[in-house]
Amino acid sequence: MPLGLVYKDDVQVALKGFLVELMRDKRIQGVLVPSRMEKEGTYTYILTKEREGIEKSTPIAPIMPIQGARVLSKLTIKGALSRPVVAILRPCELRAAKELAKINQVHLESFLTVSFDCPGVYPLKNYRDEMEEIEKRFPEELKSFSLKNTRPLCKSCIYFTGDIADFEVQFANQKEVMIIARTEKAISILKELGKAQEVRGRSEEDISNIMENRKVNKDNFLKTFGSQVDTPDKILKVLSSCINCRNCRSVCPVCYCRECFFDSDALKTSPHLYIERAERKGGLRFLPDTLLFHLGRMNHMSLSCVSCGMCEDACPNMVPVGRLFSLVSERTRSIFGYVPGISVEPSPLLEYKTEELKEYEVPYHTARD
Amino acid sequence: MQDDSFEPKIFYALCAWCGSGGTETAGAFRLKYPENIRPFRVNCTGALDPVYILRALVEGADGVCISGCHPGDCHYDIGNFRARRRIAIMKEILNVFGIDGDRVWLRWVAHGEGKKLADTAYEFTEFIKKKGPNPLKRWDT
Repeated sequence: MPLGLVYKDDVQVALKGFLVELMRDKRIQGVLVPSRMEKEGTYTYILTKEREGIEKSTPIAPIMPIQGARVLSKLTIKGALSRPVVAILRPCELRAAKELAKINQVHLESFLTVSFDCPGVYPLKNYRDEMEEIEKRFPEELKSFSLKNTRPLCKSCIYFTGDIADFEVQFANQKEVMIIARTEKAISILKELGKAQEVRGRSEEDISNIMENRKVNKDNFLKTFGSQVDTPDKILKVLSSCINCRNCRSVCPVCYCRECFFDSDALKTSPHLYIERAERKGGLRFLPDTLLFHLGRMNHMSLSCVSCGMCEDACPNMVPVGRLFSLVSERTRSIFGYVPGISVEPSPLLEYKTEELKEYEVPYHTARD
Repeated sequence: MQDDSFEPKIFYALCAWCGSGGTETAGAFRLKYPENIRPFRVNCTGALDPVYILRALVEGADGVCISGCHPGDCHYDIGNFRARRRIAIMKEILNVFGIDGDRVWLRWVAHGEGKKLADTAYEFTEFIKKKGPNPLKRWDT
């Protein structure tokens, strides 16, 4: 049986207790945990080692205004931390962090990751509108693992458990909270604390109803949403409300380029070229290059898209960007059988095989006379 | 239905070593290719960012063809292997939105294969003529 800890409390209390417990290990120099900012009424990550800070935090927040992978990247993009920091991450945040670690934009060894069964998050806009009500009903919904009106992508997320973290927190469909050490690093820390016990862990059966539900939602999403954008007319209609703010790009955890092509001089052309383009196309939408921006971004990072839905949440004009990317990424990833964050090999864009993908080449059979 | 008045505009990306070499060989043999082709020399097919191909399509090119060294022959060892993956990804993305990944062709042409290059140019032009104009040639992209 795996080693771990068992808590009888509510999951938020259990997680906070666990963090306090971990801080007893002198090697750990802090925790990164979502906390509510009272005045602003939003949640954000706090890096702290004070007990008070941990007590006030909300390890499982109802919203995700910042993608945790970006927090880890900010902290370690210039190098490793001297001693580990504990980071509480949702599964999608952890998957994104693992993707970034593959291209040296996160130093994962600097962190001790804790991830949990994720019930999904509310869209930021809903939270703004119904903050009090959501805050009131969230603890109950978390307990029963059924959030209403989450981000559309959360409803169809099938990688919602924390088993790729150092510590996996299991509480969905369980009476108690089980925290299980999944890596050598985690086991050694538990042993050092002298608290480790054997935990039975839950079986796949225990969460099969949630998984089934998510799988059905995912199939539905791929089919119905897929058919809403499957012609140039339809996709341009969907993108017609894009206001070129590029929010989707700036909140995306896996948009890894340090300088974006779409900010480069390549797209700043001389005036007469705009006139030429407008003549050629019977007019030119301003600002131009909306479709190019979205398609270009899909080409660059759809393989690493973890379907967290940050982009959709950040869109001020309700473009379903997250769903577009998720739909596309499902198709592009299937070429290589790659699952971002879960597959351990580097992104398929960084590798190749000498014999592959013949079906994408056009064969030359007969010479013309 | 084939529109006889339709003359496609085709963007043909050629790598500097093989694809462009193919055009030279074709020239040496006095072979012709259709005037619909706009050749575009890149150092390596692996240096051709998908965005360039997309930009051609979004700006109204009716088709994009890419030719470079045969697998294993790349001047930079692995450029064409990377290109193949990128193009596969791009075709899938275009297919999701019904923009038609078949408007993008990838066919390897070696330096000596002048005939193959000219043939490809003809074949692709005919193929695009049958397909009709690019649906993205509209103002609201």
